[in-house]
This record gives sequence, structure tokens and C-alpha cells, in this order.
Amino acid sequence: MLACLLGVLPGGGVIAADATASSFGEVMIPSPAKPADANTCVEPVEVMRRDHMKFLMHQRDATVLNGDRETKYSLVGCMDCHNPASVSEEIIRYENPKHFCAECHAYASVKIDCFECHADRGLARSEQSSLTLNAQSRALSAHTFSHKLEQTRGD
Amino acid sequence: MATELDNIELRPARRKFLKSAAALATTLIAPGIILYKTGHASNTSNKNPRWGLLIDTNALSESDVDACVSACQREHGWESDPNSRTDAQWIRKVKLTDPESGHQRFLPMMCMHCENPPCVDVCPTGASFKRDDGIVLVDKHTCIGCRYCMMACPYKARSFIHETLKDQLPVAPRGKGTVESCTLCVHRIDRDGSNAVPACAEAVNQGDRKAIWFGDLHDPQSEISQRLQALGAVKLRADMGLNPGVRYQGL
Amino acid sequence: MKMQSSMRYAEIKTSTPNYWGILVVLAVIALVGFAAAHHMDTEGHHITGMTNQVVWGLPHVFAIFLIVAASGALNLASIASVFGKQDYKPLARFSAVLSIALLVGGLAILLLDLGRPDRLIVAMTYYNFKSIFAWNIILYTGFIVIVLTYLWLMMERRMHRWSKPAGLVAFIWRLILTTGTGSIFGFLVAREAYDSALLAPMFIVMSFAFGLAIFIMLLMLSFKLDRRELDDSHLQRLRKLLGHFTAAVLYFVIVFHLTKLYGTQNHDFERFILLDGGVYTLMFWFFQIGLGNLLPLAMLYAPGLQRSNPALVIASLLVIVGAFAQLYIIIVGGQAYPLNIFPGYIVESRFFDGVISEYTPSLWEFLLGIGGVTSAVLIALLGIRVLPIMPEGLPAEVK
Repeated sequence: MLACLLGVLPGGGVIAADATASSFGEVMIPSPAKPADANTCVEPVEVMRRDHMKFLMHQRDATVLNGDRETKYSLVGCMDCHNPASVSEEIIRYENPKHFCAECHAYASVKIDCFECHADRGLARSEQSSLTLNAQSRALSAHTFSHKLEQTRGD
Repeated sequence: MATELDNIELRPARRKFLKSAAALATTLIAPGIILYKTGHASNTSNKNPRWGLLIDTNALSESDVDACVSACQREHGWESDPNSRTDAQWIRKVKLTDPESGHQRFLPMMCMHCENPPCVDVCPTGASFKRDDGIVLVDKHTCIGCRYCMMACPYKARSFIHETLKDQLPVAPRGKGTVESCTLCVHRIDRDGSNAVPACAEAVNQGDRKAIWFGDLHDPQSEISQRLQALGAVKLRADMGLNPGVRYQGL
Repeated sequence: MKMQSSMRYAEIKTSTPNYWGILVVLAVIALVGFAAAHHMDTEGHHITGMTNQVVWGLPHVFAIFLIVAASGALNLASIASVFGKQDYKPLARFSAVLSIALLVGGLAILLLDLGRPDRLIVAMTYYNFKSIFAWNIILYTGFIVIVLTYLWLMMERRMHRWSKPAGLVAFIWRLILTTGTGSIFGFLVAREAYDSALLAPMFIVMSFAFGLAIFIMLLMLSFKLDRRELDDSHLQRLRKLLGHFTAAVLYFVIVFHLTKLYGTQNHDFERFILLDGGVYTLMFWFFQIGLGNLLPLAMLYAPGLQRSNPALVIASLLVIVGAFAQLYIIIVGGQAYPLNIFPGYIVESRFFDGVISEYTPSLWEFLLGIGGVTSAVLIALLGIRVLPIMPEGLPAEVK
């Protein structure tokens, strides 16, 4: 899988990615798609590049052991932002080299197994979530989440 | 009786090598105990809620129980083929027939969320644990897939994932090689607290009718506690002293 | 006075093509076993016969056999060091090497069968000390370290006097380890086949028999490979021991089942094992009791066969066959029998409640199991090649 991710351009899908490569044979520097309607991530890019695993590892214990969900560092939150409809009509799965996490991880050659268990797309793009059973509840949740996100961005 | 033989060094170079290799290996191998988890919540005070379910089997028809199972499947993204021995089954429909009278009844069975869960006792890494609010879960980050908890569970509540999964739902991460079971819809509980309704209960409590109650067993004012006080309930395999959080009426 | 102070040990010479031939075959089988485990890991356990009803299967039968035998293989060294029987001293080094080899083989199978074997580091660093499984991880790894130390102390002339206390430590550790292994099942209150304090001592006695059976066969094989002298008097002792241990295993099995038969609530389970459990009943009476206990006892105690080496080898093999049957019934049979959640009712569900669960071992599980066994034998045979483990000869004793 890694072999085909490195340096291979995918077909299809309208993607706002800017991969820089001036000539054939140069390594593609990853430039994963960002959602059109957001300016910043929950932390500055340099911080995220270095420390996103720290945040995730801490968050996963907080979620599983304490039940803290929908916080700043939640993985579902990452996926909600980084795999939204505004970036691509087609849902990009982790096997696709243009998936947000796959781009950099393929470049850095660091295998991750998060998506063996976790959904590689956010709430809004998952069929049959609890939120779809109750549309109002879904709207409420999405509103609450984005409100929380705005609050954190304001920090 | 010491002889000259005792003082002769046989193959000195190899002895030196073995000595230093052994010393190096010992320092490398000494296992560090990095995280110490007992798996049991340290508090036993009643200040924390204890979530439980009360299932009235008299009010549940076969199609009701089927609806419970379907609701759980839709909520968490699992499916099971009726003939499959390896598909997961978080909640299942059980048919009980009384051999003497022929009377049949149907009930849903899921993880009992015991107060003294044997699955938590036996998990070697502490992945199987009980939260402070009584919900018994598997921390799949720590689960090594040994399936010992499945051997230990008196209710056969747990399932092992035997194949690579796709299309997991965000609220229910699940993956090959780990063990899972009913979470009491913990993602709903974390969001809504005592107003939460697990998917199985939501599926059968339509309109005024209620067949599955969810609530705080530690709160004497909660609906579930009051119903328990009024009508009592049965704990499955009560003789084992596990004090399950899921109880049944009508058995 | 025995000539033990002048006993010389030497590596097995590799001039015989048979030796290398055997090693190559073992290595190939072991590699195939690891490849099978890799396939199980990438595909998932759905390719195996293990299910949500029978979660532990053939690999665990092999693994528990090897681990139990490992503990028992150390017996001869313990008899020499702890109980002071000098007659067994020449065999002590091989006893230690074999026990390490068998344990490593058994552990390899267990680890490779995990759903997430890549999380071995997690298993080594996150401990739930209420779990007997967690204790077993510490006991197994500690065993390897302790026995290696014990072996070194036995072999290093200047440290020889420490080998006795080391032997005592190893002996006690081994008893705790085997108790822990038996308690994996004995502590499970949920299942009728388990939940018994008797399982721990039964496993200890089983370890004596199984370990000794393997020891005898490999001892005779390696002496034959290197054309070393192995006098009957040494084998006589081992023959008697194997007979006593096999009889003890039979005793525990009888007591276990008689006790369960006494309680009416266990009658259905006992009927399942002893009468109408199909393959389990056949395995119990024919393979476990018949081939594994009664026939070896007859061969080991029969006056006419007391000098017969073939009889000893066959008896050892039969004990091992019986061992597999016994562990299969304990591990798989115990899970195949349904949980009794609703006493008095007939229970049906899509999750196979209330019915005997089926289990058909797959090729992958068998290959993994065999891979572990061959790895263990390989380690033992290599060990006696590179280190002076085996006595140069075991001639008739001078009285």
C-alpha cells in the first residue's frame, strides 16, 4: 500500500490540492486539502505537524476512560474538518493517497493504524450515525461542535 | 574434591563473549512497567451515577426485540449474518421456551455491565475496564486480542472481530483483532447524561409505551429506580454475585 | 560411589547427516508455521476455525501443551538439585535446556495467535495484576531468565555450589508457573468445565508426565544421533518415573470427574464429556484414558517389557497423544459446552446460545501449532550442539 501511495497521482475527484512538482520524477511535497471555509486548525500548523500525535494520544485516553467527547482534539473533529464536502464531493477514504492523513504519512513513510478502527470521515459524511436517526439532534450536535471549535479558534 | 581440571579455562574467548552478551541482554530485557491499571474504578461511593437498564420482557414481542437489534446495528455500524459464527453480536434476540408449558418469550441480551465484571478481572492489559459510572468497556487501544475476557464472560456478551472492517461509524470505532461488546450507547450518555436513551431502548419505547428503561441506579428518584422499587427485577446468573446493571422483569 | 565429579559433557557432534537433515526439516516446518500465523494476522481470524463461541482452539492446545511440558521438563534437574538425587545430575543440563526450548515454543504460538500481536509491547508494559494472565506473562518470562541462570550456574564450575539454591528457586517458580497455567481455566467461574481448584494441581502433575515423555524421547534421539552410550539403568529410572506420573494424572482426572458427577447440576456437562459429546467423548475414552493413560501404564509396568527401549519410546509417544486429547477436551470441549444462563429453559438465539458449539480446526491453526513444536525441538537440538549439555556417555553405574 505504501509503495503505491508514494508519488502516485490519483485519478478522478475534484480536489483543491497543490502538490508542487516541477518536473517528472521529483518527490511530491504533500499539501493536504484544507476545508474551504476554515482559516486555521485548532493549533498552528507547526505545532500540529510536530505534536498532533501527542494531542491524539492524550485525547484518546480522555475519551475512552473519561468520556470527554467533541473536544478540541477529538479525532472525529479532525475528520469533520479535513474530509468535508467542500473539499471533495466524493468521500476520500484512507486508502486514497489524497486522504488528509495519508498524504503526509505516505511522504514521511510512517504507517498509522488509526483507521483500522476509526472512521476516516466525519459525522456529517457517515451514513447511519445516531445523528441521522434524529435530525434535530443532529443539527444541534453539529451546531454545538462548530460553536466549540469557534471558541477554541478564538483563543 | 577440587582437581587441576577445575582451574582450567576452557575456551576463554567464548566465555567472555557469552558473559558480556548475557549482561547486555539482561539490561535490555528487563521489562518496564509503564502503566499500572487495575481495571477497577477505585470509587465505590454512590455519588457517581451508575447507569443501568431495566427490560420488561412481558412488554416485548419478537419483532420488538428484532427492532432492538436492528437499532443497535444502525447506531454502531455492525451487521451479522444469521449463519455466521464469527460475526459480531453486540445484542442478540434470545428465545426462551419453558419445556413444561411450552410458553415462549423473547428478550434482548447484551453486556450486563456488571458491578464486579469477570471480564475486567481477567484482562491482562487492563483494556477491559469499568468506568466510574458503571459502564464496562473495552479500550481498544490497549486490547491485544487474547480473547480471555470472552472465555470469562458468563453471558457470552463479547465478540471478537475476525476480519478487516470497512466503513466504521465515527461514534463506534471497531477493528480487526480486538474484542468489543455493548457500550450502553456510551457516546449518547456522554452527550446527554441521564436524558440519554440507548438505541435499543429508543427502538421499542414508542409513544407512551415503554419496555426498556435506562437511568441511574444510584438515584432513588430516577424512573428506573422507582420501577425497580415497585416491581423488582431479576439479575441473570445472580448466584455469581456480579450485580449486573442490566435487569429483567417477567422472568 | 557414583563418578559424578568426573562426568564430562560435550556438544553433540554434527558429523552425522541425519542431524542436519532433521534440523532442516524442523526449520522448514517452523517457517511454514510462522507464515501461517502471518496469514492469520493479515486476513483476520475468520480463516481459522475459532469463532465467537470457541475462542481458543488448536493453537492454544499446542501452546498450553508446550508450556506445561516445559515446566515438567525441568523436573529432572530439580530432582538432582533440590532433592539431592545424584543419579539424575548428568541429565540436569539437558533438562534445563529442554524446558527453555519448550517454553519459548509455547509462548511463540500464544503470541502469534493474538488478535493484535503487534501490541506485544503493550502486553509487556500494561499490567492488570488481578489477571492471572498478566501474572503468567511475568512468570513465563521470569522462568526463562531463572532457568538460564540456573543452567549457567550448573555449567560454570566455580559457581557450582550456587546451582542448588538456583535449582530451588527454579523449582518453586515452576510450581507457581504451572499453578498459574492451570488457574487460567480454574479461575473462570462462568463455565461448568472450569471453575475448579483441582485444575492447578492437576496441571502440575500433567507437567511431570508430559515433560518427562518429551525428555525421554529427545534424550534417546540425541544419544543415538551421536552414538553415545546410554545404559539401560538410566532409562529404568526414567521409565519408572513416567509410570508414576502417568498414574498420578489418571488419579486427578478420576477425582475431577467424580466430583463433578456428584453434583446433579453438573450432570449435563458430564454426560456431554463422558457419553454423548461425539468427538469429545471419543477423545476422552479412547485417546485420553485409553491411549494416554492405560496403555502406557501397561507398557511401563509390564514385567516383560522392563528392558524394552521401543516400549519406552512408544509409551512416551502415547502419553503425548493423551496429553493433546486431554488439553483439547479441557480447552475446546469446555467452550463448546454452552453457558447455563437460563436454568430450566430451552434457549435459542442467533449467537448459538443453548447449543453445543461446533469447532473444526483449520489448517492455519494446525500449522501454527506444529510450527511452535518444531521451533522448540529445534532450539533444544541446537542447544545441545553449541553448548556442552549432554553427557558424553551414560554408562552402567559402578556400584
